[in-house]
Amino acid sequence: MSGVNLDGIVKAYGALQVVHGIDLNVAEKEFVVLVGPSGCGKSTTLRMVAGLEEITDGDLTIDGRRMNRVAPKDRDVAMVFQNYALYPHLNVADNMAFGLRIRKMPKAEIKTTIDDVAEILGLTPYLDRRPADLSGGQRQRVAMGRAIVRHPKVFLFDEPLSNLDAKLRTQMRAEIKRLHNRLGVTSIYVTHDQVEAMTLADRIVVMNDGRIEQVGTPMELFNNPANTFVAGFLGSPPMNQMKGVITDGGARIGDAEIKIDGQTADHVGRDVIVGIRPEHVTLGADETTSTLPINLDLVEPLGSEALLHARHGDDNLVFKADTNGDINHLSGVDAVHVPSHLVKVFDAETGRALSMGA
Amino acid sequence: MRKLTIAATLLAGSAITTPAFADGHLRISEEPIELTIQMNHRAYPIYDEEWPVEQVARELTGIHLINDTVGANMRSDENTGRTEALNLMLASGSIPDIVGSSRIRDFVNQFGPEGAFVPLNDLIEEHAPNIAAYYATRPDIEAAVKASDGQMYYIPYLPDGKYGRGYWIRTDWLEALDLEVPQTVEEYENVLRAFKTQDPNGNGLADEVPFFARQWPELIRLVTLWDGRAHGSDTYHDFLIEDGKIDHGYIGEGYRDGIANLARWYEEGLIDAEVFTRGSSARDFLLSENLGGSTHDWFASTSGYNRLSSEIDGFAFEAFLPPASPSGRRIEEHRRILVKPDGWAIGFENEHVVETIKYFDFWFSEEGRRLANFGVEGQQYDMVDGEPIFKQEFLDQGPVNRSLYQVGAQLQGRGYFQDYAYEAQWSNEFALEGIALYDTMPDLLIPDFLGVAFTPEEQAIYDRTWGSIRDYMLERQQGWILGNGDVMEDWDAYIAQLDEMGMQELLVVMQTAYDRQYGG
Amino acid sequence: MSDRNSDVGGIPIEEVVVEASEAVRKDKQTRTPDSTWVRTFDHFRREWQIYAMLLPTIIWFLVFLYKPMYGLQIAFKDYSIFRGAAGSPWIGFEHFETLFNNDQFIRAVKNTITISFYNLLFGFPAPIILALMFNEVLHATYKRTAQTIVYLPHFISSVIIAGIVITAFSPTVGVINTIMGWFGLDPIYFLTQPEWFRPIFVGTGIWQEAGFGSIVFLAAIAGVNPSLYESAVVDGANRWQMMWKITIPSILPTILIMLIIRIGNVMEVSFELVILLYQPATYETADVVNTWVYRQGLQSGQYDLAAAAGLFNAVVAFTLVMTANTLSRRFSRTSLW
Repeated sequence: MSGVNLDGIVKAYGALQVVHGIDLNVAEKEFVVLVGPSGCGKSTTLRMVAGLEEITDGDLTIDGRRMNRVAPKDRDVAMVFQNYALYPHLNVADNMAFGLRIRKMPKAEIKTTIDDVAEILGLTPYLDRRPADLSGGQRQRVAMGRAIVRHPKVFLFDEPLSNLDAKLRTQMRAEIKRLHNRLGVTSIYVTHDQVEAMTLADRIVVMNDGRIEQVGTPMELFNNPANTFVAGFLGSPPMNQMKGVITDGGARIGDAEIKIDGQTADHVGRDVIVGIRPEHVTLGADETTSTLPINLDLVEPLGSEALLHARHGDDNLVFKADTNGDINHLSGVDAVHVPSHLVKVFDAETGRALSMGA
Repeated sequence: MRKLTIAATLLAGSAITTPAFADGHLRISEEPIELTIQMNHRAYPIYDEEWPVEQVARELTGIHLINDTVGANMRSDENTGRTEALNLMLASGSIPDIVGSSRIRDFVNQFGPEGAFVPLNDLIEEHAPNIAAYYATRPDIEAAVKASDGQMYYIPYLPDGKYGRGYWIRTDWLEALDLEVPQTVEEYENVLRAFKTQDPNGNGLADEVPFFARQWPELIRLVTLWDGRAHGSDTYHDFLIEDGKIDHGYIGEGYRDGIANLARWYEEGLIDAEVFTRGSSARDFLLSENLGGSTHDWFASTSGYNRLSSEIDGFAFEAFLPPASPSGRRIEEHRRILVKPDGWAIGFENEHVVETIKYFDFWFSEEGRRLANFGVEGQQYDMVDGEPIFKQEFLDQGPVNRSLYQVGAQLQGRGYFQDYAYEAQWSNEFALEGIALYDTMPDLLIPDFLGVAFTPEEQAIYDRTWGSIRDYMLERQQGWILGNGDVMEDWDAYIAQLDEMGMQELLVVMQTAYDRQYGG
Repeated sequence: MSDRNSDVGGIPIEEVVVEASEAVRKDKQTRTPDSTWVRTFDHFRREWQIYAMLLPTIIWFLVFLYKPMYGLQIAFKDYSIFRGAAGSPWIGFEHFETLFNNDQFIRAVKNTITISFYNLLFGFPAPIILALMFNEVLHATYKRTAQTIVYLPHFISSVIIAGIVITAFSPTVGVINTIMGWFGLDPIYFLTQPEWFRPIFVGTGIWQEAGFGSIVFLAAIAGVNPSLYESAVVDGANRWQMMWKITIPSILPTILIMLIIRIGNVMEVSFELVILLYQPATYETADVVNTWVYRQGLQSGQYDLAAAAGLFNAVVAFTLVMTANTLSRRFSRTSLW
């Protein structure tokens, strides 16, 4: 029974409820990412796990022990903050040693621990420096080092990379992943960046408006979003969503008819949202595809690929196409071709995914 | 409203006065002359051209004074308040035609010889018959006014009347305890002790404060009860003059004995325990709370507290003669000084020096003196049997001195000769009785030290030594009374320390200056 | 600042203008070899708004700080107001000799330093402690009320303060002696006892200023990143540890700056309050340089002597500030300049 278990966790400030009952089981050594737009309650949930916010209702267990009323220091968790929360008056070594000193760890032990962790994080040359003299990436490493030295049961990350520039973020992301592989500590990671979520997570928890929308591995969520929210949140650019009506063997979107795999007969006439991932379309037709005529607005080259901004009816759509080293041939595109097995269908009213299975 | 009243009274005033002065014998200039004036005093920070007294003086003399006061303020503190405006005026670079102020003597005696003010000796002799006549009768005062170069630089305010402060006691308490008015210091001590121990206010508590003072140096004044001396003039801690010799009270043996006795009194609770910090409200508080027994204070203002008899049954606070010392001597050390360091002077840029000294002289003429003392006839006073008598409605306006300031009379920034008759008219019966009592003892008052003017060399020695010496003397004085040290044991070391600090040198300098000024 | 300003909107204006003026220079190269003037002129034309903003400060410094320095010369002159600073004769260091040959002046210097030292020792930490205590108060209304109460004495004039102190320490009706009476102690006439003057004076100063002085430290505490505390909570620190290990180190720069400023005012003991509270009986411990100057110098118009004493004060204060600033810079990397 190790790991972290959230059972019906609720957070309310007075009459205002912001987290509406979260059920989540984080297995031992698992890396779980909470992702969602700002204000969705992911940070609040994390802070409840850390003990920085009181839990209004529900049960939190860590390693099998109920933690609702346990002081943060006794939960055996370590947290990495968005703005690093480094003590400006202490040098790197002292920053990392802070929690250990509070816990009255013997000096010699502190030193070896710090040295080990500094070595892992590549901070050994900087141990005497103050945070003000470090780069953003180095500060981030110190913040993680401070969490690591404690050897906690659980790591909590609260948007740790959002203060870094894009390049550094990619680099640090990889480092966090490597670190987790090496240390194998249960981790809960909060971010609003779906790329971070996809790359880091063993499992992703997509949250919206104080609720969990879907839990699953990155590829499950990418391939089978449970609803339009998840579909629109994951992926870059996100899934195109168009209003349509189910027909026999497909769906009608405006004047176009898209084929869908599976049995549609039971749903004929139903209003749906048809979802097509930008990278799933082709420019050439074959027997499994159906044609979606488009009005091309703009071509954005990204290098090996280009983004095609287009309209179909009232819907603004984005598609990805290979450039093959040249974008001129893309300017004349007036239709894309949609493979029938990659089309997703959601109920127009509830936004839930519809299974057209056999 | 007030403006209107002034204008109306002015009109009435000039209508009445014009015929009387028709002969114009006081006129100094046919064509009106305008002279600028600086006048700063805490009670009237600038010279007001609308004052009725100024208006009448204008008409009589043809001299118009125009206010040109720099740095007007209403501060009354001893050290800077009184001369701050003068210093600012000087620093501003120009000096008005006439400068009038309290504490002007040291100022003009320093800057007059440097050329800032016009020397007056010859001018007085040639153009100021009234002033010259006065000085002819009082050469000592003429000497007191002079600077170290023998010149007079200001025309002083000359107070009138003899007694300033006297000893006061709760005579109703004496009666209640069946005691006589004390005639000797021994009796006085017994009375104070009885006040302390026998509960004359009858509230069952020993909360009486037998002796109190608004200004703590008045406590030191009590050393005169043991033949000591405290303050040689109306300036506290001043040097004293005795038979032509300069001395200081605080180095005399009578002072030593007096302090020893006062320390004993203090220890015993005969003196207000808070005498050094109670401050100016002491009299008001202790009398109205029915706690204070005796003090040494001004006749006029202290007698006024008998109004408390309406609240405190039988309250009577009356003057008594200074108790006789063990050697049998009675003195009242405080008196109204003969000449104040206040008055006015002529600035060096004045282009009408002769007219100005004539104008100064006007205030010493019969009409001018009456104007300066009583205000305007028909407005503030009427002539009754050849004497100026204040109108009753004027006396009823409130504090008389303040009312007089408001019409431009009794200004100490003006050089004039006060007429005590002005004050006698409105003094309280208790004050008058007290003064009459003191008048029965002809030798009660002793001469004041009227001050000396230093040469720059003497001034330097005075500046170097006096401040430190005074501080040291006061420090020891308070210490002894409070019981920090014993005056009898410390005395020789005290005198030695003072000599070390230059006391003898200072006395020689003072004596030299005195001999030069007053002719030995 | 000018760098940032000339770079508005990411367009390197600097370069554009330099190019333009280079063109001018090339054009005039043969006629006007001195291009510094052109550059200076261009610089002012471009940046005149900044100089216009600087002007009031420069004028203020000239008029209120540098011009009065001219008057300092009277410390070395036999000054007469009538003759003016320029017209009075030089007398060298005579005034300083007078000062240092005067035992009471020496005593006043010692008293000043002693009182200031006590002020530093007890008066300086007081507002910091107060601020730390306020910071721990969570109840908003209670906190606001308490703060208002401790700020109040700051706004009371010295005269009133002195009156309150004199009354409180009165041997007959004073609250202190009354309380002492309950424990059977004899009344003490505090304000005439030299040994009591400094405690009363310093205590009064703390009572009057600690609350108001805590504002700057409260502001500093408010500026501490809240996640430092959260991080410490997770690390297991209690409130006491957080105060010692986070709050105080975080506001240390503010504390040091305030301390340096305070040290610069060491010679400026609250003159009014001393005047109002001291007595000849307490001169021994109470007389400070400013009150001594007031009694000795200004009384007989000895502005020159007062100026000499003032100059001495300034030199001492300047030395102390320099020393404190250097030490602070060396050991904590915090300094005024």
